[in-house]
Amino acid sequence: MRYTAVVKEMNVLFSGQIMVVSKDAIVIQAIPIGGGMLPQNYTEEEIQNITGVEKAVPILFVTPIGIGGIIQAVPVNFSMGIPVEDWRMILGPTPLKGNIGHFPTNESSNEVVVGPSIADQYNWTVGTNITISNQKLEIAGILDTKLGLLNRCVLMPLKLAQKLYNYPYSVNIITVKPIQGYMQKNLTDSIENQLTYVKALTEDERYDMIEPVLAQVETWNIGLQTVIFLMSLILVMTVTIMSVSERRRDFATLDAMGAPLNYVFRVVIFETSLIGILGGILGIVFGSLAALVLASLYTNIPLAMFFPTFYEIIPPFYMLEIFLAVVFVCCLGGIIPAINATRMRIAEVLRAEY
Amino acid sequence: MQIKTVDLTKTYRLGPSEITAVNKVNFEVNEARFIAIVGPSGSGKSTLLNLVGLNDYPTSGKIFIDDADALLLSSSKRRKIRLFRMGFVFQTFNLLPTLTALENVELPMSLADKPQKEQREKALRLLETVGLGKRLFHRPKELSMGEMQRVAIARALANNPEIIIADEPTGELDSKTAKEIIALLFDINRKEKNAVIVATHDEKIVDVADTIYTIQDGRLRLEG
Repeated sequence: MRYTAVVKEMNVLFSGQIMVVSKDAIVIQAIPIGGGMLPQNYTEEEIQNITGVEKAVPILFVTPIGIGGIIQAVPVNFSMGIPVEDWRMILGPTPLKGNIGHFPTNESSNEVVVGPSIADQYNWTVGTNITISNQKLEIAGILDTKLGLLNRCVLMPLKLAQKLYNYPYSVNIITVKPIQGYMQKNLTDSIENQLTYVKALTEDERYDMIEPVLAQVETWNIGLQTVIFLMSLILVMTVTIMSVSERRRDFATLDAMGAPLNYVFRVVIFETSLIGILGGILGIVFGSLAALVLASLYTNIPLAMFFPTFYEIIPPFYMLEIFLAVVFVCCLGGIIPAINATRMRIAEVLRAEY
Repeated sequence: MQIKTVDLTKTYRLGPSEITAVNKVNFEVNEARFIAIVGPSGSGKSTLLNLVGLNDYPTSGKIFIDDADALLLSSSKRRKIRLFRMGFVFQTFNLLPTLTALENVELPMSLADKPQKEQREKALRLLETVGLGKRLFHRPKELSMGEMQRVAIARALANNPEIIIADEPTGELDSKTAKEIIALLFDINRKEKNAVIVATHDEKIVDVADTIYTIQDGRLRLEG
């Protein structure tokens, strides 16, 4: 669920805009994966001249980026080149952290703005010099944002990005802001008719493209949850059956002493609930830690950086949900053994134990 | 409490054959007597005690508790009789291993919803009576066999039962300890005025019993 939420969050950046990408590009929400590049000037001009277009902004989106010469196997850091005059159209009102620094104003400068997470990881501050693809850059500001994508992003003027990543006069996205009230669908049709090598996607179409993938992820999630649920149920049941069978004599003794009819049942359910409560707490603590360690190993982001956002990564509601599910599974798993425990025949059990 | 059995029979199926563990037993307990049921292993002693103690149902015949047909009683009523009017002592003690001696004795009172304070006071007094005043907080595995059986006897007395049913109470004990346990049961019978039914093949119990029955192949016979 968290994963799909992060993917859905990507679209926030280009909300209300049309995305134009190469015809063969795969688009995950707002991120083009693969596909060819678009000739910047020609495509931008052609789109700008189409009726219904208020503004077309070319963007070079690059992943992975090599910071300090290290190329990451898993793309966790992104780089975006945007013309300096159009940053606000993409970033909206996103401020700089502590209002320190500034957004680059010159296309040919070597100034960049970075996300807070990436800055924390590498101890970057305003004024720090960094190296990407053997090019010295200066950090002009750190974004104050909670968006996952911008958190791990290096934003720079478009020309600088094209030079840095060796894509002269090329971009892989052109975002198009339609004139207010103009039908997005009509505009995408016009763009695609005018430029046969591009694919123009409305916000809804981008959602529609990712929706089956996200639905599949959700289905897998549900499938996995069901399998884990059943396995846990069987495990709890097996352990409880063993525990009950080892204490048959104790339960028979309680019965012989005249314990109320549901007493043994309550004892077994109480025990399994207690196991569920303790197991749930321990599971959440160790499971959360394991999730953070895995995320750290997977992304190369230091573990300590996950702790300040611990409750965003694993929200308390999820913890509560997991805890209740564990207790529920334990109670459910205890029912059959508990019924078995109440149904044993005292005389036979006590005799067999002799 | 009066217990009366009429043609009480219990049969078990063992593969293709049928074993009659208790065969048309007519038996009555109606006063605070010390009754011994003597017989070799497999003669039906334990089965008879389980039937009389309402822990099992007969194949045929009747059991009357104070003239009420016990077979017609609901499971809940049978449990209440076992809890409030009967006390059980087993050959292998059957103490709950996770509880201390004191907690084991408190258990029947807890099941009977007696107040916590009363439970504690009574359990302390009973353990003093059986000579375990200094072993209150020991768990069963920290007690000797004789001590465990004393705790079991204290537990059986917890709800002031009218009858104590003891199945081979000295079966696991050495001769000296067995003698002490018999003396304890006899003492309780005389002081508390509750009936004691003991299934045994221990000669020492036979010596102190008021009434002796023998049982052989499920058939009960009054000896004296």
